[in-house]
Amino acid sequence: MAEIADADKDKPKKIVIDVGDGAAIPSKEDVGLFTAWRVAFTGSIAIVAYLAIFHPDPYWRILKFLPDGILVTFQVTIAAIILSLVIGLFTGLGRISKNKILNGIASLYVEVIRGIPLLVQLFYIYFALGRIVNVPAMASAIIAMSVCYGAYMGEIFRAGIESIPKGQMEAARSLGMTSAQAMRHVILPQAIKTILPPVGNEFVALLKDSSLVSILAVSDLLRRGREFAAESFNYFETYTMVALVYLIITLFLSKLISIMEDRVGANR
Amino acid sequence: MPTDKSPVMVEMRDVYKYFGQLKALDNVSLDVYDGEKMVLIGPSGSGKSTLLRSINQLEKIDRGHIIVDGIDISDPETDINKVREEIGMVFQSFNVFPHKTVLENVSLAQVVVRKRSKKEASEISRELLDKVGIIEKANEYPEKLSGGQQQRVAIARALAMKPKIMLFDEPTSALDPEMIGEVLEVMIKLAKEGITMIVVTHEMGFAREVADRIIFMDYGAIVEEGTPEHFFKNPIQERTKIFLNQIL
Repeated sequence: MAEIADADKDKPKKIVIDVGDGAAIPSKEDVGLFTAWRVAFTGSIAIVAYLAIFHPDPYWRILKFLPDGILVTFQVTIAAIILSLVIGLFTGLGRISKNKILNGIASLYVEVIRGIPLLVQLFYIYFALGRIVNVPAMASAIIAMSVCYGAYMGEIFRAGIESIPKGQMEAARSLGMTSAQAMRHVILPQAIKTILPPVGNEFVALLKDSSLVSILAVSDLLRRGREFAAESFNYFETYTMVALVYLIITLFLSKLISIMEDRVGANR
Repeated sequence: MPTDKSPVMVEMRDVYKYFGQLKALDNVSLDVYDGEKMVLIGPSGSGKSTLLRSINQLEKIDRGHIIVDGIDISDPETDINKVREEIGMVFQSFNVFPHKTVLENVSLAQVVVRKRSKKEASEISRELLDKVGIIEKANEYPEKLSGGQQQRVAIARALAMKPKIMLFDEPTSALDPEMIGEVLEVMIKLAKEGITMIVVTHEMGFAREVADRIIFMDYGAIVEEGTPEHFFKNPIQERTKIFLNQIL
């Protein structure tokens, strides 16, 4: 019945997007996790400081060797996150599109990419496609990460857009807006609130997964560590340092994202 | 009062609409005249909302023609967005934009669709908010407003486009009883200004006071039509009598 259907679709759907990977982002209500974050963050900084000061050989030398790699890790992560957001937005729009071809392409992309491990995709773009077109290692790394994460982002965008009650789109369209105008001015600004937490999760997950690019000739944090260890044979010390640095960065990033979420929540 | 001599604003010819097996609109033909106030009544699921929503193509009809102000909207060549600019719609669930202030709600489409400057749009918005009696809430967000206030914002938002036709889809059904009056008051005020109005409602008092013509629908078809006088004094069809007995 038309009336019944109307009433149903105007009810806001409760959708919680829960993506399990990525470091846990502490929220204010979650007291236990908040303390866990504090302990881990201050603890790891304290350990790094202690080791660097009281055992400068090899720890201080390792620490001095890593920043170039951290920079590369950030470059890959930030470039990939921006690209994957763009890919994700279009994929998400494609997934909800009534155009069968666009919808088909977007769905196929998501299915295929999510079915192939990231490491295999990296190998594929760099080594397999590398035989046909010569893409620099850094570019391959960024492309592979973006293409992979774009698929996951696409699903987040889709869920975020679908979480907005249908009446919002109808109201915008009834005012004469095109669907693109309605999407831009009415739907997406509201969807952002739902989209941001899982995107934040992906951001942290992407940073960690960026360590995979060290198998290509990209000198990221992990690869710098490997280079140091191979030369000095200080495997234990080097990887301890590398792990701690990753931990500090991801914890810091999680915190940053949770602060950003609070801001968006507060300012609607 | 508009008569059949007035130009036709909405013309529906042999309109069919199906939801799967269900005939939501079953061979509906109807003329709405310029300036006419038409009230659609009928039991839940009778197709009155579908009929209303098909006029601005929120529902696409399966067969027939709907001609709005001379433009056949069932023609695939028609730019439906252009037609929608001329048709204001008010929903049962208000559908105000929660991320925009009251003023921005009313201004948004003026700027995006009508291409008015922000300043001009704001002036028009303020005028309309004053008209619906909610100017003091201009800078609030909708969540701070009652249902009746939100619905009046939605009416102002639709009016801001300077539409030729206003569609109301059960505008008071989601409201607490004490807020129905303030929304009906605005609608009555609007009716007196001569705009074409098509209203789906269960408010018989409103129908009696405002309607030029009442249409009773059941099972997707028009069962009976006539003046409020005709309906409330001596309806002819048995189904109309039963329905009116139930709700009056």
